[in-house]
Amino acid sequence: MIGTTPAVGWYVFGVVPSDAAPAPGTYLVERGPLAAIAAEVSLAEFGEEVLPERLNDRAWLEEKVRVHEAVLQSFVGVTPVVPLRFGAIYHDLGDVRRLLAERGEGFEAVLERVRGRVELGVKAWFDPTRVTRPAAGSGREYLQQRRDELSSARDAAAVAAAAHERLASTADAAVVNRPHPRELTGRDEQMLLNGAYLVPDGDETFAAEVARLAEEQLGAGITFELTGPWPPYNFAEDDA
Amino acid sequence: MSARDLVHHSGGAAPAQLADVLERVLDKGIVIAGDIQIHLLDIELLTIKLRLLVASADKAKEMGIDWWQGDPFLSRNGGDNKLESRIKELEKKVGLE
Repeated sequence: MIGTTPAVGWYVFGVVPSDAAPAPGTYLVERGPLAAIAAEVSLAEFGEEVLPERLNDRAWLEEKVRVHEAVLQSFVGVTPVVPLRFGAIYHDLGDVRRLLAERGEGFEAVLERVRGRVELGVKAWFDPTRVTRPAAGSGREYLQQRRDELSSARDAAAVAAAAHERLASTADAAVVNRPHPRELTGRDEQMLLNGAYLVPDGDETFAAEVARLAEEQLGAGITFELTGPWPPYNFAEDDA
Repeated sequence: MSARDLVHHSGGAAPAQLADVLERVLDKGIVIAGDIQIHLLDIELLTIKLRLLVASADKAKEMGIDWWQGDPFLSRNGGDNKLESRIKELEKKVGLE
């Protein structure tokens, strides 16, 4: 065909030091001390005209988002990595090198900040039915119990805030995100805390602190969940 | 049981929860203006859609979203029957039946 535009682009996942080894299926596009993790993508899939529709195709999105995560995950514990948000696409490799040139200082600062560290996620869940209390014998006791349940929900929110403070003091950096709504989690428990913490890779201090919190709050109907290690998604902004 | 056993740890070999991955990959990380524009609005629409997709009809009812139940065009056992019987009544009155 005559006059067709190039049908491929370069999808950039993140930035690593130039001495890193590439992840399977990706290239490292080097410039100076930095390298962009890139893969060739078809513009029939990632072109500007088709992308809005693709983004609303749940199966497509899930697949691509999981690939993005898997590529970045392969660097965790191996070399520092700066995660880019989903969908950084360039027409040619010259544009990718220009990105490294223009934003190089910021990328290097983030790489230094996250070097030797990983992101861990902590969620706290509240289930009022798990609050331990003596069985109600009389009507008066029953009413008191209902009042306790209401106040225990308020207490749980305060406990979650205090838990975040404690975890943040154990971590090198901390971010608190919006708890996921029940429609998204599909769980009966209420998510009280959705935190992300930057901690030294392989250090057990943080996990031990989460375990201590879990033990302390067992009777209050609050459970803790630890996720990761993740690439430092929550600690990637240059000015963070 | 040690205190460590109280904490549910997903990670390592276990596949991460989709919501956790979506939150990080779509909402975190450095924003780059590439050659191809991804419109934030599309992403926002998408997260709203995802939330609704994840919610089953039962969950929606629990949340108090039950507008379809009172809508005669959408519900067979809602206002629809009443409307139908009212029409039948009127038809009888004017001798159509």
